[in-house]
Amino acid sequence: MSDVAVRVDHVSKSFRLYHERNQTIKSAVMRGRRSVHEDFWALRDVSFDVPAGSTFGLIGSNGSGKSTLLKCLASIYYPNEGTISHFGKVAAMLEVGSGFHSELSGRENIFLNGSILGMSKKEITRKYDEIVDFSGVEQFIDQPVKNYSSGMYVRLGFAIAINVDPDILVVDEVLAVGDSEFQEKCFRKFEDFKRAGKTVILVSHSMETVKLMCDQAAWLNRGELMAAGKAETTIQAYLDSMGSGQH
Amino acid sequence: MRYLKEVFAARELLGNLVSREVKGKYSRTIFGQLWSLVNPLALMLIYTFVFGLIFRSHPAAGDPSGLDVFALWLLCGLLPWIFFSTVVTTGAGSLVANAGLIQKVYFTRIVLPLSVVGSAAYNWLFEMFVLVVALSIAGAFVLPWLPLLLVVMLLLAVFSAGFALMLAVANVYFRDTQWFLSIALQIGMYLTPIIYPVSLVEKASKDVGSLAGTPFALIDIYRLNPMDHFVTVFRQVLYDNRLPDGLEMLICLAWAVGSAALGVLVFRRNERNLAEAL
Repeated sequence: MSDVAVRVDHVSKSFRLYHERNQTIKSAVMRGRRSVHEDFWALRDVSFDVPAGSTFGLIGSNGSGKSTLLKCLASIYYPNEGTISHFGKVAAMLEVGSGFHSELSGRENIFLNGSILGMSKKEITRKYDEIVDFSGVEQFIDQPVKNYSSGMYVRLGFAIAINVDPDILVVDEVLAVGDSEFQEKCFRKFEDFKRAGKTVILVSHSMETVKLMCDQAAWLNRGELMAAGKAETTIQAYLDSMGSGQH
Repeated sequence: MRYLKEVFAARELLGNLVSREVKGKYSRTIFGQLWSLVNPLALMLIYTFVFGLIFRSHPAAGDPSGLDVFALWLLCGLLPWIFFSTVVTTGAGSLVANAGLIQKVYFTRIVLPLSVVGSAAYNWLFEMFVLVVALSIAGAFVLPWLPLLLVVMLLLAVFSAGFALMLAVANVYFRDTQWFLSIALQIGMYLTPIIYPVSLVEKASKDVGSLAGTPFALIDIYRLNPMDHFVTVFRQVLYDNRLPDGLEMLICLAWAVGSAALGVLVFRRNERNLAEAL
């Protein structure tokens, strides 16, 4: 077992900023080109290691590239340069309940969503009770999810995702859902994760959350890595920079 | 090879997506699955009335089955065509329709267009089953040809899947694709011997003669349409009840393999960019 869970190695990611984008054939032909664009570097030469078994926070202000990096970690985007190596099974929770079909029942959606997240039927059957229990919607499990309250919907989605049982869990600020009781449950689940020696990478705007949960952190600013390492020192550096920026 | 493994590993997901489409499609309807029969039946009535009764299109009787029913003859070509056109149309829109999913979760993207093929195939199997029953009642001896029929159906499914893969990617970059497609399919239907026998085209081609001094006749160009070959084979198996021409089978096979190979290639090339391009 290597002691690095994820290695981010000189990763750069650019997007095209379109001044003109011809998405129809007519405009492409009329203008004689498909697009005029310049590259916007959302991430520039970012490198750090996420130690195995740590809870790793990504912090930074809006537009700093956190979400882009998270999507790269989740294999949704692919970096233009550099590589990201995972040592273990990754599950990403960028949105809960993606792929739910509103006409299908909660039970059917558990199997559908579970398989989208990469679980086998056997695994889902094994964890079915746990998922339903965690979500707290057992009473309505055979109802179509379109009749669910938004809280139930999100809870069910979260319960499925958290039960994928990955080695590395990548989380976007989905913690900000559900009532405080459910949030409490989620925190406990993350604690369990940690105790089982698994790695959690999360993005959050709330320094409180990061302070509370993370032992490691990386701070991004305009696509560049400012600091990475112990959570406390990284957060302090980030807060200091904001403080000085306001003066 | 690794890619095939990846797709194979996602077969449960594919199955679940297919059942999502199948279950979701006719949910909350009274007639349920019967609705999938309504569209072909309505078309059958229209075409039989217009072309069978008014224009008096009279295809040769089935040889050796001896069948001589325009409506059944029509359906043998119409049902495969409807399948093809459904797969291509919904397949082309499958990535755009699931944009939210693609941008939020990592999974083997190819399952999205393939699930469309699966759910359309489910409906198609049901329709073909009804057609085989109807043909048997009318006196055709279809049963021994069923294994061969399944092989041809598989070929058409593979062929359609390849098209769907290419068009799904194209539609992400150019949303015109779906609109262009609906016109192309309408033209395609009339350029395929579905509502008229191919013998009429042969006759017309002979009257016109060679095209502008080239050694090609009208029929040679007409035959470039792959669906022409598929429809011919389907009719030979279902309506005539005989072994299809080896050459026709080979052409179908070649189109299926070519379309699928190109489709997978195009899809793989663009798969990684989908989340950004959408």
